[in-house]
Amino acid sequence: MSGWSTLRNLGTATEMLLVESMRELGIVLGFTIIFPIGILFFLNQLVVPELRVQVLVGTIMMETALLNINALAQSLGNDKSTRIFDLWVSLPVSPVVYALSNALSLLPYTLASALFTLGVAVTVFHVAIGWAVFPLLVGGFVLVWASTLGIGYLVGVYAGTPRQINAWAQIVGVILTFFAPIFYPVTILPVPLQAIAYAWPLTWGSQFLVALVHGSSGTTMLAGAVLVAYVVAWIVLIGTGLRWRQA
Amino acid sequence: MLEVRGVSKTYKSRRGDKRANDAIDLTVRPGEIVALLGPNGAGKTTLLRQIAGQLLPSAGTIEVAGVDMVRHPLAAKEFISVIPQECEPKLNLTVEEHVRYFAQLKGVPRSDARRYTTDLLRATGLETYQGKLVRELSGGLRRRVLIAIALAGPHVRLLLLDEPTTGVDPEARRSVWQLIDGLRARRIGILLTTHYIEEAEYLADRVAIVNGGRVVAEGTVQAIRDRLPYRGRLEVRGLDHLTPEGRASLREAERKYPATFRTGNIERLQVQDPFRADVIREVEGLHALGLEASLAPVSLEDAYLSLVDGSTAEGS
Repeated sequence: MSGWSTLRNLGTATEMLLVESMRELGIVLGFTIIFPIGILFFLNQLVVPELRVQVLVGTIMMETALLNINALAQSLGNDKSTRIFDLWVSLPVSPVVYALSNALSLLPYTLASALFTLGVAVTVFHVAIGWAVFPLLVGGFVLVWASTLGIGYLVGVYAGTPRQINAWAQIVGVILTFFAPIFYPVTILPVPLQAIAYAWPLTWGSQFLVALVHGSSGTTMLAGAVLVAYVVAWIVLIGTGLRWRQA
Repeated sequence: MLEVRGVSKTYKSRRGDKRANDAIDLTVRPGEIVALLGPNGAGKTTLLRQIAGQLLPSAGTIEVAGVDMVRHPLAAKEFISVIPQECEPKLNLTVEEHVRYFAQLKGVPRSDARRYTTDLLRATGLETYQGKLVRELSGGLRRRVLIAIALAGPHVRLLLLDEPTTGVDPEARRSVWQLIDGLRARRIGILLTTHYIEEAEYLADRVAIVNGGRVVAEGTVQAIRDRLPYRGRLEVRGLDHLTPEGRASLREAERKYPATFRTGNIERLQVQDPFRADVIREVEGLHALGLEASLAPVSLEDAYLSLVDGSTAEGS
């Protein structure tokens, strides 16, 4: 299958799932766009001004990771329960198209949420971020979003029944967002925990976005490279037919 | 169209291996409908899932339109469409959107997709519902939508239908049968599994009966019926309110004709020829005693029950 037809299928599948998600979940997903503001407001009262960028990044990343992992896993769970998943498996499309289109159909909500949170942080809480950094940050959000792609897919494909998928998505989401140092610098953690934290894509995502805001090119390059490696690894893992065709 | 040769599937587990399919051979030709019959757990869906490329066989070969499904699944899937058992279309997409998007995913160019979809909706009797969301449709119409999705695509040569009318009311079932039957004209081969014997009798050119993971009989409906050593059945109803005379008369009939099936109220007896004068007299005698008795040629159901070992004195 050529790269062009894969891209064409990705576009078609994403359009289909976007239409469906807007009809099915429009109001709920609309609410998720404004949900992080509450966390931002709460945490902003607790931290010193130097950590405000970190808190902002953590809030956005929590939303990005939770929405992506939960929504992708639950989409897969729903497709399994209605047996549409079996129909997808029998189509001449790669599992990457299926997983990516499911995730991409929810990306507009994630991005809208991130941009709204960013805008509120700058205008209401006076977090010091130059407008020139905004386009870079949007790219960064997409990269961070993509680095969690495989987690939702793994939960959705492996966790069995829709209820199990729901439960696992919640557990994994909590572990990733609260045990990864996204609301505070990784250096606060004891060294053994730092080693574990560096295994999560969200730790690198957090470092990447904070470095983007502060203009630290070395950290941006390193964390960005790790995130790209995560994205490539997920796509390879999904593309090799992970549980797409059962043995 | 479809060539299945020596396909076996073994599930390995700590509690021991379970062989779900055992050296299955099966062919479906263009324009032919083949029905897979068998009890629950016989291995029908496992076989279908292997043919659809959803499950790897442990042994054997599967070719769809000459393409090896095991080695080249993406290429083979161009020629195959599947309706999984109890599959529900997406509730919040319209009928038209379903068919159009899936047609595009199966290779119909975006520029042709709307016209292609209109033609397909007309052919499947869904034209008047094209703007409706699936959540607004009845169960029978949802099955039609799935069939339309399955037909979408420029290269589809084989349909796999896993219990296509389960849970559908009898009227809608007939309507889905007519749609499936009409697909012969498109030279598409169809392999379907079903628990409805009459569905197989109505639709299938050939029937394969699967039991214990093996094909235990294969042929036309008539050829399968002819495997039985008798040609007719005598069915007696009303056993729960037999008079002493009726009981004696029934015992007499049972001595002449072996029982194949019995519940509290019904008994079926084998008769060599349901049109012989002495058999007809027997029925008239049972009638005279107030029993409901009827004669019929053997059905596919009789042959099926005999082949899957469910035929003898069940419930007696």
